[in-house]
Amino acid sequence: MKYTMIIVTMLIFSGCSSKLVRVMPYEKENFAMTKMSLNPLAERSEQEGHILLIREASAGGDSSFQGGCGCR
Amino acid sequence: MSLIKSFFIGIMLFIPFLKSYASGLKDTVSVGFNTYGDTNDVQVYSPTFSIMKTLSKHFLVGFKMRVDAISSASIRNASGDKSLVDTVAGASDKSGFDDIRFAPTFIVSYDDGENSVSGGGYYSKEVDYTGKAIFLNYVRQLNQDNTAVGIGFSQSNDKWSPIFKRNLPKDYRNEQKIDLSVNQLLSPTASIQFVYSYMNSTGFLSSPYHYVKQTDLARFENYKDTRMGQAFAIKGVNLLTPSTSIKYSYRYYKDDWDISSHTISTEVLHDINKKIMIGARVRYYTQTKASFTKDIGTYKQSDTYFVTDYRMSAFNSYSFGVPITYKPSVDSPYKFSFSMDYYQTSDNDYIKQWQKTDNLKAIYTSFSFEYEF
Repeated sequence: MKYTMIIVTMLIFSGCSSKLVRVMPYEKENFAMTKMSLNPLAERSEQEGHILLIREASAGGDSSFQGGCGCR
Repeated sequence: MSLIKSFFIGIMLFIPFLKSYASGLKDTVSVGFNTYGDTNDVQVYSPTFSIMKTLSKHFLVGFKMRVDAISSASIRNASGDKSLVDTVAGASDKSGFDDIRFAPTFIVSYDDGENSVSGGGYYSKEVDYTGKAIFLNYVRQLNQDNTAVGIGFSQSNDKWSPIFKRNLPKDYRNEQKIDLSVNQLLSPTASIQFVYSYMNSTGFLSSPYHYVKQTDLARFENYKDTRMGQAFAIKGVNLLTPSTSIKYSYRYYKDDWDISSHTISTEVLHDINKKIMIGARVRYYTQTKASFTKDIGTYKQSDTYFVTDYRMSAFNSYSFGVPITYKPSVDSPYKFSFSMDYYQTSDNDYIKQWQKTDNLKAIYTSFSFEYEF
């Protein structure tokens, strides 16, 4: 099942590679705006990531590094 | 979860067949000041500093410093004994601030437009805890910058040094984390990101200070010494109007302590004019309890695991906040940002028992000034 999923994923992406190009370079000006970033305030994200690691038992899903501390 | 892993492995194997391209490195200096305060009498003041300097067109080095000055007016452990330390929030006894944590991070990045690699080292020193970690991230741009695939790895090797003599069964806490991510532009006004994280922890994973105190027993908190967790997140951003965007995210987490959680959040950002952006956001979180967490007052001498920390119990939380950014002009090298958030948990027996309030309420703020040179 695992290997089938890997192969299917590769085939799907191989078949629709060109369809993944949805936005031309001249159409990307919107993504230069702060409000279009998934992480518009870096300082806040870092602070909040640390607080939530301390206040809740879950982690991950953020593709960023958070170092360890004794408060966890 | 194994299907999700297979999905990402499939994407990673597919990378060599794709065409790729661009991005950029910038020289920046930033200073920040963050605060945190909650109803458990914990106050944290955190000045931060970072500098990123390009060495060439493709290489950048950086240094970040964070200092957490922790003040806990009622430093107490779970029993209320002031001779012991660390609240659930984590302050340790000392004059002035109860603890001061220094956490420098060194970063090296390479970016050639198609490939971006960044790595570094992290060090954190508190009176009773030393954290050391290395991390490495790789991102590849694909499909004329419509797709970005990333993989990140970090390894932490931390050490406990309790401020009173206690022989811990293990005095270390080691953690590995692997993140796989895929970003995809969906249209000129929308993008989406998928992230899968695998986390593994070993060592002493509870607090060395908290202990369960019942009429018939008093035992130090004790958890399992291994923990494996996985998280899957989906995030997106859409431009609603030329001046307004909306972000949304969902995360599912599960680990082998039987804790699972769901997190949803959304944020609206709006440009008031060319200089000022404001926003509003809400977040909701819910988790189940760990398999070894029992009802308050029901622990027995024969139990292996003992819990005082509400994070091992089932609870919900929500938060809402407002950010604001200011940039003097579109091409100004200066940027200011500020945010304030309110956080509250649901009523919880563990919080009630050990922190003497029905729930936990907190306010945290973040301020930063960034200069691009």
